[in-house]
Amino acid sequence: MMENIDKRKEATYHASIAAGSVVCKDIKLLGIVTIGAQNVVHPRASILAENGPIVIGDGNIFEEQTVIRNKLPKDASGQPQTLFIGNNNMFEVSCVCEAKAVGDNCVLEAKCYVGPEVEITNGCFIGAACRLTLPEKLPENFSVCGTNHLRKIMSDKPLSLALQRDHLAKVLPNYHHLKKPRQSSTTEGVIIKKEPEESLVS
Amino acid sequence: MELPDVFYNKPSYVEMASGNKVSRQTLLCGSQNIVLSGKVIIQKGAIMRGDLANVRTGRYCILSENSVLRPPFKKLTKGVAFFPLHVGDHVFIGENSVVNALQVGSCTYIGKNCVVGRNCVLKDCCYVEDNTVLAPDTVVSSFTKYGGSPGKCVAELPECMQELMTDFTVNYYKHFVPEKI
Repeated sequence: MMENIDKRKEATYHASIAAGSVVCKDIKLLGIVTIGAQNVVHPRASILAENGPIVIGDGNIFEEQTVIRNKLPKDASGQPQTLFIGNNNMFEVSCVCEAKAVGDNCVLEAKCYVGPEVEITNGCFIGAACRLTLPEKLPENFSVCGTNHLRKIMSDKPLSLALQRDHLAKVLPNYHHLKKPRQSSTTEGVIIKKEPEESLVS
Repeated sequence: MELPDVFYNKPSYVEMASGNKVSRQTLLCGSQNIVLSGKVIIQKGAIMRGDLANVRTGRYCILSENSVLRPPFKKLTKGVAFFPLHVGDHVFIGENSVVNALQVGSCTYIGKNCVVGRNCVLKDCCYVEDNTVLAPDTVVSSFTKYGGSPGKCVAELPECMQELMTDFTVNYYKHFVPEKI
């Protein structure tokens, strides 16, 4: 019985992971997910491409219990939209991101929630336990934190993740089973980007 | 005060000789780096990250459902490291809380949905209210109650906090019993 359920789960996603990413096996995937190079995905994270594909750039860190969900409505021609996540973003423990798009160098702190009508640009910082639900496009280097959701534009970029990412990439393979990056699948990722109609119909 | 019985499903928990009760649905990464000193309850969905650094808990610790205990990340002048996390005796951590602290003292209560930021130090006998967000590097001194986001001292605690927490955790352990079939 359990095996059957597991098999069904396996069948509901199609993930292509580029070489150099450290993706633990104990994660939840759904739909068409493309993960770029040098990402670190901790166990118990979920990447759920419910309404359309998710394309993740390079060098992101996804900690435990994070939920990345594509909740975008269909576009004018009735095609599902792709959720693009940029490079060098940090998704901390149990944050929920359903945003329209995520730029580069963003930090989503623990337990924050970003709703489906929010667009995150570059260098944004969403503080711990903050909730952004109203439709808006966040300006660059935007920061929000605290109970009163204090907003400001930061003068400097968030710190680089490179050191932490390298450290995790060294440590995690010693303790976790990893999903194997698939060389052939990187081409599939390109197809999804170029011609979404074809790959989705099939 | 006598707590009501909390029933758990016996097959889904592992009971060790030292009295630890650990749900099978927890994620204990790097279990060789995790030390549970005895009579610790870890409920389902909880996560302990022993793979990043050592995690040590004292006696009568209670980790509620979906709570996360992870060693803090620190950038040093030369490279980076995760620091070992020490949790004292008689500590309660509420549901869905994230603890990124460097040290959690004995007889401490952390409520539900809390975020304890990186490298926080929680001294003995303190209380963190539900939904609190402690900013990174916060030091919570003994006999204080923290609340809000960012967390601030909202009240002081009575001197009997040690007895209250000891009583609470021991009682909780005593009343955490398997379902009768």
